[in-house]
Amino acid sequence: MKELQPKILSGKPAAPGIGVGNAFILRDDNKPVHPEKISDQEIEENIRKFENAREFLVQEYEKIKTIPDDYDVVEIIDAQIQALNDPEVTSTIKRKIKEENFSADYAIFSTFNDYIQLLESAGAQWAKDRTIDVVSIRDELIQATKEKKKEFDVIKGEIVFAEDIPPTVMVKLSRIKISGIVMERGGLTSHAVILSQSLGIPCVINAHWDRFQLQDGNDVIIDGSTGQVILRPSWKQKQEYLKRKEEQFSRFQKALEWARKPNKTSCGSEFTLRANVEFLEELPRLKTHGARGVGLLRTETILFESNEFDVWDQVEFYSKMVEAAEGHTVTIRLFDAGGDKLLENSENEANPFLGWRGIRMLLDKKEFLKKQLEAIYRVSGKFTGKVKILIPMVSSMEEIHEVKRHCIDVCSSLSRQHVPVDTETPIGIMVEVPSIALMAEYVAKHVDFFSLGTNDLTQYTLAVDRGNEKISHLFDSFHPSIWKLIKMSKDAADKEGIPVAICGEMASKPEAAACLLGLGIRDLSMNTGSIPLVKSVLCSNTLDEMKKLAERVLDADELEHIHELLEEWRPA
Amino acid sequence: MKTKKVTVLNESGLHARPASVLVKTASRFKSEFYIKMYGYKVNGKSILGVMTLAAEAGAEMELIVDGPDEDEALEKLVKLFENKFNPAPP
Repeated sequence: MKELQPKILSGKPAAPGIGVGNAFILRDDNKPVHPEKISDQEIEENIRKFENAREFLVQEYEKIKTIPDDYDVVEIIDAQIQALNDPEVTSTIKRKIKEENFSADYAIFSTFNDYIQLLESAGAQWAKDRTIDVVSIRDELIQATKEKKKEFDVIKGEIVFAEDIPPTVMVKLSRIKISGIVMERGGLTSHAVILSQSLGIPCVINAHWDRFQLQDGNDVIIDGSTGQVILRPSWKQKQEYLKRKEEQFSRFQKALEWARKPNKTSCGSEFTLRANVEFLEELPRLKTHGARGVGLLRTETILFESNEFDVWDQVEFYSKMVEAAEGHTVTIRLFDAGGDKLLENSENEANPFLGWRGIRMLLDKKEFLKKQLEAIYRVSGKFTGKVKILIPMVSSMEEIHEVKRHCIDVCSSLSRQHVPVDTETPIGIMVEVPSIALMAEYVAKHVDFFSLGTNDLTQYTLAVDRGNEKISHLFDSFHPSIWKLIKMSKDAADKEGIPVAICGEMASKPEAAACLLGLGIRDLSMNTGSIPLVKSVLCSNTLDEMKKLAERVLDADELEHIHELLEEWRPA
Repeated sequence: MKTKKVTVLNESGLHARPASVLVKTASRFKSEFYIKMYGYKVNGKSILGVMTLAAEAGAEMELIVDGPDEDEALEKLVKLFENKFNPAPP
């Protein structure tokens, strides 16, 4: 048989590391459906297959309909049942089987696709949004025509290929110790990417392959540092990468040794490294990697999954986080997502990043804000001094005052019920909108700490949409203006004696971390996987050297010059 | 066969929920039901068909009902448009 040649896919590096293993293609739809023709004798059987699948699914939906007592959910399920019973769809599918001799699965596939295309090209956003539901019915129907259901059976050491990975699946995958993830879509700030960085799973995104190039079980090499994925590598390539993997592993082990050392520069100046965390699954690595608590706890996923922001779900989740921090603090960022993901019928925004997100949304949906604050304050009472509140996407003083008023209200209402609360819980803000950085002097008088979100600060200051590939080369957090804004914020905070932390991606780059420390910012929070390497660089240099670096970076007026200055600090 | 021109009065158009109410109501009758809009004609008992119209507020369409209970069906369906697809008050 003809040997297939190695094939290299180039994607965007998303989480560093080398993985060598077998491919597992994660299909949340199923295998591709081919326009398969059947003989006249098979027509009846295929019609029956389709009818059975349809009835089976309607019953399944009726069954789950009885579980929730939530009216919206019932309505969604009803809509799915209605689509399954759609007379036009049913007759078209049967006609395709009977008259065009197509197999049941292809008849289903192509019939639904016509509608999906129409919905996608419709002018109204709600119609586009509905396509997801129609796609899922199509795929569930096709699935049901098949005899056996394909289980989620990734095994340890495999490299997972997927179009996109939802956070819940990512959490499951993280338990299996896979060797790598290759995604067709996904952004650098997607959950899957953030989790793979945190868990140390090599990850490449925006890689494209077709089904003829890749099959389950193929040998694969993934290099998450360069974005290269090699399908069916030669024996030589495999040996070479295994060797490099070993080297990386021992380098990382050495860096891990740093994790146990005190957080001090070589001249004895102290600093703190914390972890950015979203899931409980990430917690075991906090200690081994040398994180001192959680500098940024993202609450979006837990709240999306929780029913109506349930207070007790939140209390449980935050409590587990604080326990895992082993005496260090946990900074809880209030729900920071756009309203479009939360509410049905909300309008799609032309500029979601400049839109209804973060505290802007919470102040409109006060019941969510109050529930989240109640949960946080309940936890603060159990773990006095261990919790901090971080307000996202602040762009004006009024927003700060309003949130603080709600904090006072929640505290006093809990106290009236004799629930212990820590009324001294620090309330800080994300400095990620330039307006707030420019007002830092005034803002610092009214908050307990600043946390700098460098990704958004860069995007808003440089007017560069970080998701837009055409201008992605312009998105660079090392831009001189960003360093100046950081310095302004730090000076303002010093004047009022409040602490400053960094929780943006910037802190996870050792050379930038050194410069930040040189600027006097001693509290850096980053994905857990980056901590050892950052720490090794900070521990092996003196604060003076870092101060000099910071001075020169602040003096530079060109991005390229800054890159040259920082390049010397990048570990090999 | 009975026909009648109607206008979508809902602010957000004939989106998923109203479409669902319309199809559900139409399906209770024996008569065939079609909707004509901008030269398209879709089966009014087909949820996916109605949704692909993506009719927005102010859209005009022609309802065509044909069958033994066409009078009653047309009356009920026109009412739905007039009431913006809210369930009729008890």
